[in-house]
Amino acid sequence: MHPELQKLVLLQDIEANIREAEEQGEELKELGFNLDGLNQLKERAEAMAGEINPRHLAYYRRLTRRFGHAVVPVIDNLCTGCFANIPAQFVSATNENLLQKCESCGRILYWP
Amino acid sequence: MDIADVLKHTSPDLFLPDLQATDKPGVLVELVQGLVAGSPTISKQDAVLQMLESREALGSTAVGPGVAFPHGRTLAVQKLTVLIARSKAGVDFDSVDGEKTHLFFVLIAPPQDSGHKYIKSLAALTDRLQDDALRQRLMEADDFDAFCTALGGD
Ligand SMILES: [Zn+2]
Repeated sequence: MHPELQKLVLLQDIEANIREAEEQGEELKELGFNLDGLNQLKERAEAMAGEINPRHLAYYRRLTRRFGHAVVPVIDNLCTGCFANIPAQFVSATNENLLQKCESCGRILYWP
Repeated sequence: MDIADVLKHTSPDLFLPDLQATDKPGVLVELVQGLVAGSPTISKQDAVLQMLESREALGSTAVGPGVAFPHGRTLAVQKLTVLIARSKAGVDFDSVDGEKTHLFFVLIAPPQDSGHKYIKSLAALTDRLQDDALRQRLMEADDFDAFCTALGGD
């Protein structure tokens, strides 16, 4: 996997867990979970963002604002963001030094 | 959501009855290795591990008496997946009560699980695992089926 993609995936995962702690926090606390480390988690997200090429990060942010999720998994050769078909030759190129984008919606593609 | 619904998301391949790791980082690695080995659709070990480690930074998930519920969302999984693990000796998992953790219920969900199915699953599990006698039976269960029968029973 492209190292930059790995960082973007982790950033998106951490941000999803931050959002969940914020939106479902009361529910999680009722179950007994302690969410005191929220600021620490935000710092981690910031540190991770700091390691990403600013151009890639800006693109990630733009997609996140537009779609909610910037990086989407490709499942059964489909972009799970817009359900466009991802050609097979795309799949074989996943390890190359490029971030792969869906040609139809522009989301960053990830092969889980 | 009841326990039977939660158990639909696990399988005998996602059951680790005898964890070997003796500390928290080691247990997290062993749990993630179990997820990758036991689920045909999970392959990115690093992504899952890093997500679970970050989630622990938010606050330890060892909130039940002797039970932890490591959980979170990651792109590396395609559907809600539950792994069950057990440590006979118990592990220091930074639990809320300071006691050792023996039972682990790992719940990982994809980012787009908008129905919050996994929070409902967490709720069912955290509630059920309050039962002292049940936890004792789970520690003694011989195999996955016996474990699930005890967990699912009333
Ligand atoms: Zn697309």
